Parts: sequence; structure tokens; C-alpha cells
Amino acid sequence: MKSPYLHIKGIRKVFGPIVAADNVELEISEGEFLTFLGPSGSGKSTTLYILAGFQDPTAGDILLKGASLLSTPPHKRNIGMVFQRYTLFPHLSVGENVAFPLKVRRLSAADIDSRVKRALELVRLEGYEDRMPANMSGGQQQRVALARALVYNPPVLLMDEPLSALDKKLREEIQYEIRRIHQQTGVTILYVTHDQEEALRLSDRIAVFNQGKIEQVGTGPQLYASPSTRFVADFIGDSAFLEGVLTEISEQGASIRFADGSAISGVPVHGNAIVGNKAELMLRPERIELSCGVPDGRPSLRVTVEDITFLGNNTTVELSTGWGSKLAVRMHFGHPLISRIARGDALLVRCAPDTAHVFAAG
Amino acid sequence: MLLTYEKLGAWRWGLAIICVVVCMFLLLPILFICALSFGSSRWLIFPPPGWTLDWYRELFADPRWIGAALTSAKIGLIVTAVSVSLGLLASIALVRGKFKGRSLLRAFFLTPMVLPVVVLAVALYAAFLQLGLNGTLTGFVIAHVVVALPFAVITISGALENFDPAIEDAAVLCGASPWEARFRVTLPSIQHGLFSAAIFSFLISWDEVVLAIFMASPTLQTLPVKVWTTLRQDLTPVIAAASTLLVLLTLALMVAVPLLRKGKKQ
Amino acid sequence: MLSLLRSRDSKLGLALPSIVLLLAFFVVPVAMLLMRSVTEPELGLQNYATLVGSWTYLNVFLNTFLISALVTLVTALIAFPMAWALAIMPGRWPAIVLAVILLSMWTNLLARTYAWMVLLQKTGLINRTLQALGVIDQPLQLTNNLIGVTIGMVYIMLPFMILPLLGVIKKIDPMVLQAAALCGATRWQALCKVLLPLSAPGIASGGLMVFVMSLGYFVTPALLGGTSNMMLAELIAQQVQSLVNWGLGGAAAFVLLVITLALYAIQLRFFEPQVSH
Repeated sequence: MKSPYLHIKGIRKVFGPIVAADNVELEISEGEFLTFLGPSGSGKSTTLYILAGFQDPTAGDILLKGASLLSTPPHKRNIGMVFQRYTLFPHLSVGENVAFPLKVRRLSAADIDSRVKRALELVRLEGYEDRMPANMSGGQQQRVALARALVYNPPVLLMDEPLSALDKKLREEIQYEIRRIHQQTGVTILYVTHDQEEALRLSDRIAVFNQGKIEQVGTGPQLYASPSTRFVADFIGDSAFLEGVLTEISEQGASIRFADGSAISGVPVHGNAIVGNKAELMLRPERIELSCGVPDGRPSLRVTVEDITFLGNNTTVELSTGWGSKLAVRMHFGHPLISRIARGDALLVRCAPDTAHVFAAG
Repeated sequence: MLLTYEKLGAWRWGLAIICVVVCMFLLLPILFICALSFGSSRWLIFPPPGWTLDWYRELFADPRWIGAALTSAKIGLIVTAVSVSLGLLASIALVRGKFKGRSLLRAFFLTPMVLPVVVLAVALYAAFLQLGLNGTLTGFVIAHVVVALPFAVITISGALENFDPAIEDAAVLCGASPWEARFRVTLPSIQHGLFSAAIFSFLISWDEVVLAIFMASPTLQTLPVKVWTTLRQDLTPVIAAASTLLVLLTLALMVAVPLLRKGKKQ
Repeated sequence: MLSLLRSRDSKLGLALPSIVLLLAFFVVPVAMLLMRSVTEPELGLQNYATLVGSWTYLNVFLNTFLISALVTLVTALIAFPMAWALAIMPGRWPAIVLAVILLSMWTNLLARTYAWMVLLQKTGLINRTLQALGVIDQPLQLTNNLIGVTIGMVYIMLPFMILPLLGVIKKIDPMVLQAAALCGATRWQALCKVLLPLSAPGIASGGLMVFVMSLGYFVTPALLGGTSNMMLAELIAQQVQSLVNWGLGGAAAFVLLVITLALYAIQLRFFEPQVSH
């Protein structure tokens, strides 16, 4: 079996009683764009910093092309990194900033000049060599930081929430640039963010972090359609959770019964599923169907319309179940049902069982 | 409307007059001395009966004046070097250090600035009598570093506080060893702080009177001491000549420092 | 965020040379001086008793306080309108005036004091102008007395009060004064009831600083003052240098030290110092 390009092996980091990273295990292929996604304090930045050399792990190792990275001092690791704060050298011009890693590696002047030029072209800042960082916008500074991180062709590029300091429109522009640069250079990228949209837009795969552990690794569609834990289901995409009790577990899935007697069966189940225990059914607003009709044998729930909100390309209908739980349905513009429903109506909600998930409690 | 210029009405003139008078008050003595240094009156009568460069000739011809100026310069340069070096180390400890009582230590470093110099002068004089350091270059330098150090610490630690340590980390990630990063990135980034500390330290030493009076000996005098002892005897216009040169030095620094700052920014 | 270079070490060692320097050549000598004040010529507090008991020395203390207070008052009276004017002047004027103030502040102290010695002497410009204008017949004694000291000290202290006060007044929102006008206040009322109270912390803080500085000042009082209004600093110097009376000199120094520290503590307690943070 071929060994992975970058192998994060059982990384564990404790600060006294706090476990910042707990047995983080990841195999990353060459040229992959992998995002660490999670809320703050979830361990994603800690893992990244251990890779960069800011911290030593309490246990575990990191292997790049088979060789352990941890035994190398930070300045010899040859890794590129871009931070949230631009960290350009304020006393050097843009060209000198980008040239710095090459000067430190003692390349020839001609070599340095051509490489700097190419790096600036890559980030679409050609001609900016003599500008000072203080005279540039946030977006431009971040691009210079990117050029500086890539100019020495590192095997891995780390990015720690580099776009959080920028406004939304600028963020989208630079996300596009990052994708383009990734395709052009083929460098392996590890990206940290708490923004799921950003993760979905940029990555080949996403590792979802929570409280120091990786809950799930997968592509965007995999995480969206098949979340393996409640946290991942909640973090990626919109979701509603309905509490109930597990009544049956079989090959086809689980059955879950709710307080008003209604039940849904054949749903994929995750976690420590024991019949009779509490569990939650996860539904996504755009994957459930609202209907006025009578139950026809398909699994359905009786609901009451609480509110209807027009949001442009979709309309969201807030519903409450027979036992008081809340959920929402999203219908695209032009859906025939929208004009026929009103607040207070009693309706049915239906879904295909394989689009829902049940997460066992505990 | 008291703080809005347009709405002050007649009071504008009152404030303007006060401003002009005070500016004249501040400026006149300086201009006066500069003018008198070229006047031919031995008794500093103004307006002088004639104009002359005699006082400057006397000043430059007198080896004791030249010697005093050179001594001041020598001491000033040594004090600058020591003060900035110690100040840099102390600032790193204060800003980046990890130990308890940092604010206490900072207050400790600033105390020489707060206390009356005469107390320090007398105390050091007594101590140096025991150590045989009175009238020596070393004694002078030590005394001046004690009073210059607080200013160096303030300016350098201020510059260091405004420097994001992440920039140093970025340099290391770019491949620079920790020491390389400190010398090629951190130090240049705080150079305006180092520069200010150097200027302050030099000026403090150059202008320092009280400590110098106590530390001096007949053979080792700084310029202020020479002026002081001469002043105690009579008000010769040679002092006016020396004062004018000192004023020119101040002017030169006032013009040079912001220019240099601008130059570095470009 | 942690730093690659901000490693585990506390870096206290870097401060060590400075700490050693200050301890050896600041704390210890001053402590030793204090020791001498209670051990020379013999163990006990006689020196302090002398200072307080004898009229000559008490006079010096009184002088020092009175002159410092007078200087502070005059400086404050001039500094306030100056700072006010500087805060609101339009166009390039503030820069020009500020340059004048800075030039004055940075010019050598002795040069400036010398200038006043020449200006105020019996045959100096001031006296000759007054005589020429017919205001006086005989030249006034303006040096070696209270007038000379006050003028000289105010001249030195003005920049130290104008600059911080300028900072305070600039922070006052002009809209507050507009509001006062809208409420019907005349300019005098607005001045006394709004502007002055809002500037008071700056005036008090600057005044305290000027007062403390004046208490310990040596050069200008020594040159422009007379023997009858000798101030503390000169007393200390005289005792030690001319009279080699370490006990008394040390005691006077200690008193000055304690008063300075006490006032500085008050400054820290009640006002945000610009310096320490």
C-alpha cells in the first residue's frame, strides 16, 4: 500500500487539563486541498500549528513523504503558511517580502528576480514589486503573503483562516483566486476555517473538527448527504432535529417513534443505537416535502404552519410538529403549494427515509 | 462653541493675542542670545554697538571649550550605545517575557525619571568617592546611562509592543533561523524606536547639567559644566556664542529627525 | 497566538544587566545616602531635627514650596489659554506654534537660563526698554531674586504643561460646548461651568508634574535666584559639595525624595499617567 504524501498520525496535544487535540489521524494525498472545518477551540488550529512547528505535540507524529516532520526545526520544514493577520514584513517592499525566503536560502540574484516575478504573476500582482505593504489593501496584502508562501515551492501550504479579516465580496474574490492557484500549481493545501460555505467552495475533502477530535472526513457531498455524527449533520447545511425513541433497528435502518405517535422507519442510523433509547431524527429543509393530502402509507408527520417567509429564490415555511418541536421546509420559487397555504394550516411532511438520518443519543 | 474656532467671536482675538505674546516670550530669549553672540558689546548691551565674530573665534581658540565639547560628544556616544543596548534587552524582557511582576519591573525601570536629579547626583557622588569614579569617563557614563535608560526603555518597548510577533514567526516559516529572523525582520521593524531611543539618550547626556557638575573634575568637564562654571563667574558673550551653536544643534535635530523618518518610510 | 520564537524561557535574564545597573548605581547609592543622614555625625535623627528646628533650613523648605507653587500657578494661568488656542486654531498655525514650543523645550537648559540672566540684568534689555519708555527711572533688580527665579522657571516649565493640557483639551468633544450654548450659556458661563471643569484633570495632572519638577529643580533657581531664596536642591548641593556635611545634605535629600515620591503616588492614584503605560 502506498504511503500517504502527508500523514498526520495520532496527534495529541494537552495543555494541563485541557485536551486541545485528541488522536487526530489524517492521510492526505499529494495535491489535495483539505480543509479543517470546525468552531473555534475545536482543535483545527492546534493541529495546524503543530504542523507548522509552533507547538510540539504531546504524542503522535507527522510524516511528510515518509519522513518525520517533528524532528526538523521550524525554519527548516520548508512549509508555506498564510495567516489571518497578513504578517508582511513592514520594512520591506512587496518584491523584497516575496524574495525573503529565497534570500534566506541563498539563491542567486537572477534566480530570485525571476522567481519573484513569477510568484507575483501567479497572484495577479505583477508590477507591484516596489510598493510598500502599508500602501496596499487587505486583499492585496493577503495575495502578497500567498506569493511569499509559494515562491519557494513548498510541498505543503498551510492557511489559517486567511480570509476572516476581509469583507464578504473580497472573500469570495480571493476564494476564487485560491482555487485557481491550487489548480495551477497543484500544491497540497491544508486550510483552516469555521465557515462551512468556504470549506465547501474550496476543498477536495473536509475534516470536521469538534472538541479536539475529527468527527468525519469526506468530500462536501459525502458530509452533506451522509453525516456520521449529529455534530457534522448540524454543522454542514441546515438541519432540524426531532427527538424520539428508537423502536426497531434492522438492516434497512432504524425506526423512530415520536411523542404524538407518528413514526418513520428505514432511516440510516448512527451512533450507539439501542432499542428503547432516545434518538434524534435529522431532516434537511430542502429535502422534505410538504403536502395537504391524506397519509398514503409513506412515512409522514403531521405539522402545523407557524410562519411563511419569502426569501427570493426560496420560501421558508416554519412548522411545528404535533408534540411541539420545530422544523422548517424550504420550497423553491414557483412551487405550487406556496400560494395555497396559510398560517395555522394542518399539513403533512414527508421525506424519503434515505435522505434523513437518525443519531442515537449518548 | 468655545471649542469651535468659527464661533468664538471676539474671544478669538483674546486667544490669538495670548498665543502671539507667549510665542514671543518663548522665542525672544533664544533669538536674543543668538543676536548677541554676534554683537561687539562685552557687557551684552542690546542693541550692540557693532557686529563681530570675535566671540566665536575665542570659543574655538580656547582648548578648554573645545575639550569640553569633545568630552560631551564622547560621553554622549558611549551613553547612547550603552543605553540603547540595555534598553533593547530590557524591553524584550518587558514586552515578550513570561514572568511575574512585569509591570512592577517596568515601574522600577522608570523611577530614575521621576526622582529629582540632585538626589541621584549627590548619592552617586558619595558612592563614586568610595569607588574612585569621580572625574572619570566611566563615572560620567554610568551616571548618564542611569537617567537615559528610562527613556530608552519607553521608546523601544513602545515600538516592540506595536510589532506583531506573528511577523517574526512568518520569517521563520519562510526559512529564516530564529536569530536571522530577529536581525533581518524584528530589529529593522522597530528601527524608528531604536533611533528615537538613540536620539533621546544622546540629547539627555549632552544637555545634562546636575550630574555633570558633581561628576566633573578640573581635567574632565562636559560642555554644560564648562558653561556652568563660566556662568558663575561672569556673563561673557563667549557663552552666547556657545549657546547659539547649541540652539543650531537643536534646530538641526528638529529638522533632521522627521525628514529621516519620512525617508525611511519611503 | 503562540510564537515560534517566544519559547518557554521567561527572558528575565535579558533585563538583568539593566536591573543590576540600576540597583548598583541608583538604589544602593541613594539608600546609602539615606543611611548617612541618620548615622552622621552620629546615629540618630539629629539632622532631621536640625532641618526642622533651625529657621535657616526651614526657610529653604518654605521658599521651595512657595516658589514651586507660584511657578505652578503662573504656568497654569498661561498654559491653559495656550493649550485652548492650540486645540482650535485653524490651518497651519498649530504646527508653527508647536514648533516654537518644541524648539524652546529642546534648546539647552543652560543656554535658555543664560538668556534670561542677560535679559534681566541691570543693564539688560528689559530694564533699558523700561527706562527708555519712561516707566522707571532706576533699573529694577530682576535677577538673584524671586522675580528672576519665577520668570526663568515659568519659561522652562511652560512646554511641560502646555503639551499634556493640549492633549486633554483635544479630547473634549466640541459638541459639548455647542450644547452648552444651545442651553443658553454665555461664553463666560460655558468657560467656567463646562470647559474649565472638563479640562481640570489635565490642569491638575500637569500642575502636579510642574510642581514636583520645580521642587527638585537645581539649575535655574541656582542661577537666577539669590541666596535669600535658596531652594532645596541648591541646599543639598551646598551641604555636600561646599560644606561636606553629608548628614545634613543626606537628610535634606531624603526629605525631597519622600515628598517627590508621595506626590508621584498621588499622581498615579488620581490621574492616568501618560508615561507608565
